[in-house]
Amino acid sequence: MKKIYLHPLPVRVWHWINAIGFIILILTGVQIRFVDQVGLMSFETAVQIHSWLGFILLANYFIWFVYYIFTGKFFKIYIPPFWKPVEFIKICIRQAKYYAYGIMIGDENPHHPVPENKFNPLQQISYLFIMAVLIPVQIITGLMLWDPQLFGSVVSLIGGIQVATLIHTALWIFFSAFIIVHFYLATLGVTPMTHIKAMFTGYEDELKHIIQEKKGGEEI
Amino acid sequence: MRGITISSLVIFCFLFSYFLPIKDAVSDDTKSCLRCHSVKTLSKQLENKESLSLYIDGSKFEKSVHGAMDCSSCHTDISLKNHPKPKKIASKKAYAKEVSQNCLQCHPQDSLMKPEVHGKIVKKNEIFCSECHGSHYITSMKDWKKKAGFSTYCMTCHQHAITKTLPGKEKLSLKVNESEIKKSVHGKFECIVCHSDFSKINHPIYNYKTKAQYRTEMTQICTKCHKDQDLQKNPAHYALTKTASCIECHGYHGVKPAKVAKSLPESQYCLNCHSRAISMKMKNGETMSVQVKEEDLLNSTHKKLKCTDCHKEFSTTQHPMRTFDSIADYRAKSKEVCNNCHKEEVLKYDKSIHAMAFKKGNAQSPDCLKCHGYHKVSWITPDKSARNELCVKCHTREGDAFSSSVHNLALKQGKKDAPVCSSCHNSHDVMPTNIANLNASCLRCHKDIKTSHNKWLWNPPVRLTTFVDTHFNSTSCASCHTQTNKAVYLTVVDRAKKKVLTEDEIAKIFGVNSNEVKGKIDFNGDGKIQEQELWQFMSSLKAKTHANLAGRIDVLDPNDAHKIEPKSKTVKDCAVCHSSGAQLSGKIEINKEGTKAVKFDFERTALNSVYAIPDIKDFYVLGLTKIKILDILFFIAVLGGIAVPVGHITLRILTAPIRRKRREGK
Repeated sequence: MKKIYLHPLPVRVWHWINAIGFIILILTGVQIRFVDQVGLMSFETAVQIHSWLGFILLANYFIWFVYYIFTGKFFKIYIPPFWKPVEFIKICIRQAKYYAYGIMIGDENPHHPVPENKFNPLQQISYLFIMAVLIPVQIITGLMLWDPQLFGSVVSLIGGIQVATLIHTALWIFFSAFIIVHFYLATLGVTPMTHIKAMFTGYEDELKHIIQEKKGGEEI
Repeated sequence: MRGITISSLVIFCFLFSYFLPIKDAVSDDTKSCLRCHSVKTLSKQLENKESLSLYIDGSKFEKSVHGAMDCSSCHTDISLKNHPKPKKIASKKAYAKEVSQNCLQCHPQDSLMKPEVHGKIVKKNEIFCSECHGSHYITSMKDWKKKAGFSTYCMTCHQHAITKTLPGKEKLSLKVNESEIKKSVHGKFECIVCHSDFSKINHPIYNYKTKAQYRTEMTQICTKCHKDQDLQKNPAHYALTKTASCIECHGYHGVKPAKVAKSLPESQYCLNCHSRAISMKMKNGETMSVQVKEEDLLNSTHKKLKCTDCHKEFSTTQHPMRTFDSIADYRAKSKEVCNNCHKEEVLKYDKSIHAMAFKKGNAQSPDCLKCHGYHKVSWITPDKSARNELCVKCHTREGDAFSSSVHNLALKQGKKDAPVCSSCHNSHDVMPTNIANLNASCLRCHKDIKTSHNKWLWNPPVRLTTFVDTHFNSTSCASCHTQTNKAVYLTVVDRAKKKVLTEDEIAKIFGVNSNEVKGKIDFNGDGKIQEQELWQFMSSLKAKTHANLAGRIDVLDPNDAHKIEPKSKTVKDCAVCHSSGAQLSGKIEINKEGTKAVKFDFERTALNSVYAIPDIKDFYVLGLTKIKILDILFFIAVLGGIAVPVGHITLRILTAPIRRKRREGK
């Protein structure tokens, strides 16, 4: 079976740290915000875990950042071909059509991941937005709430601590929904475990081999 | 032994008397008595050690109105047969009383009561016949009256300690010290020069109700010679004559020449008048005492100062006339006297809530004089509790609250660094508590407090004191160090200028009077601020300024800030403030120049609303300003997130037959 090396080790390490971190951050976020309704842990513990993990994910973000920027892969993988906007929009629509309709009737995924183009256009645009904008914003607003005095000048720059809280909470809401959808989408490989396995091993089975192997088999 | 001595003396006198010239005109009985009593040295020591002369000048007695009478006529208890016998006499006064009883044998009381003044004296029984009229040499009253000088005539009675009881039970002494008159500027005057309505045949009776009335009326006598135009030469003195009687400063009879006073040391010169109960009248009719007690000056920290060191425009030659609208006006101006030396303190005071309140007419508000006294400027006492008492005189409620605090305990234990009121509130620049930055006062004594708070108050992974600052800057120390109700106070500030907007400034923005600002924020008048009210109020303000609400957590009742608890009882549970169930009240605070801020209660929903975000940019605490709609959005997002895979899977299950058919090539 032919396998493609999609996820290099630094990316896998970053991904799984990020994944666990995200889940715990969301949960401790719930605990902090709903201290009277949720009893997972005390407010102090939740804040401590939240702060520790915030910094771990900050460091983790740099693994991702350094790897993708220094290998130059960031530009290849994350930047959509904005110089061909019409074509890009077309393939976006094609990808959306696939998830909404094609997948139902057994169409082949129009996107075939290869190391230099592993994201489908919808992934590309959302991951670029998440990695280049939302996560940095979440980190910065997180830092503001972590020590409003130390980051006082940035706080006042964005319009006060209320605004920082508003942004941080809004992104927490977004990421909570995102992570559920992200997990579901991860199961939409050729088999439910294709993408997930690949995120552990780095290798993803090429589509046609799987299809050949699974001849006659059902796939949902 | 005493008996033998007396007997010997009597025998000696009796034998010696044969050689003495005895007047023929006197009766035989008298002659017998004079045999002994004409001895000049004959005297008797009384029980109170006074010496009573028993000598009688026979020739003078002969000429007296009683010259023809026997001695026993008056001395009814003594005759040759039963005399000598030891007679106990307590004092001259007692003897005078006793012998004066004998006068009544011939001069019946009725007749003595006829002349009104004489009658009053007899009735009062304070002085007795012999004290005024003498005993053995009484001449004819008519002759005596003719011959006696006016002063001698008056002094006959007035040299004695006679008094007059006024209707108010005050006792007025009518005794006149003749030598005092002689030394006075009026030493050569006869009594009737001043008391012109009196004469040897006329003795009016005044019916004054009080001593004050007596003094005032008597002062009229002075103005007979000391005319208004003379008194006006010295305006201060002239002004005094309108408020005080001459007698109060100059005395009754011992009037000293004014020139003597000028040579006195300066303070003594001033005290000549100011040690007396004199007062000045304000334009509004208030009366203020201008009496200065010498002992107050001597016990004060200013005891080495001369009066003119403070009262610079006054001297022994200058006494400007000043007029003040009221006592408050006088007190406000008198601050300038202190300012001559205590510039720094006065400057600080001028900024204080006390000065502002005073300016606004609160007469109870302290100024220099209210705390330090007028002339009794006391030393700063080392007794810290006593220092607090000064403030507690007015701030009783605060004093009570403080008494239960750990600070008061330290004070009682005599700890050197225990705080007094001024340790936190300052002594002169006492500011309204909402802008006084009282946390800084705590830090003045509790120097390492940031480090010690940082031991537990920090956010991992880095232990930064800035996290402590975050709390110190937005929470009063008392919020956690007292077991009391807490509140979030939101103050209207100009965010760009970083200054608090006062009620007057807000009123100006709205173009209304300061007292109408309340109606601009709580326009439905229910005493609480709702979401709509806050939004409208802040929008109007923001249209013209960079208005915003700055927040801080503090005790709900400001007085509770005095009840600082020991360390073991302080709040360390973050969720007290950082939880939606926190018992925090919300209050909006509008500062007023120099006085306490106006506060309104918030409806909790007003602060949980998304509309509150642009109005409370710089303050956030989960316990009060958490925006509720975000919680709802979170649940919607999670449900939405779940709905996507559930929906998609459902569709995929439903469409599975289509795919199967397609794979099978149908």
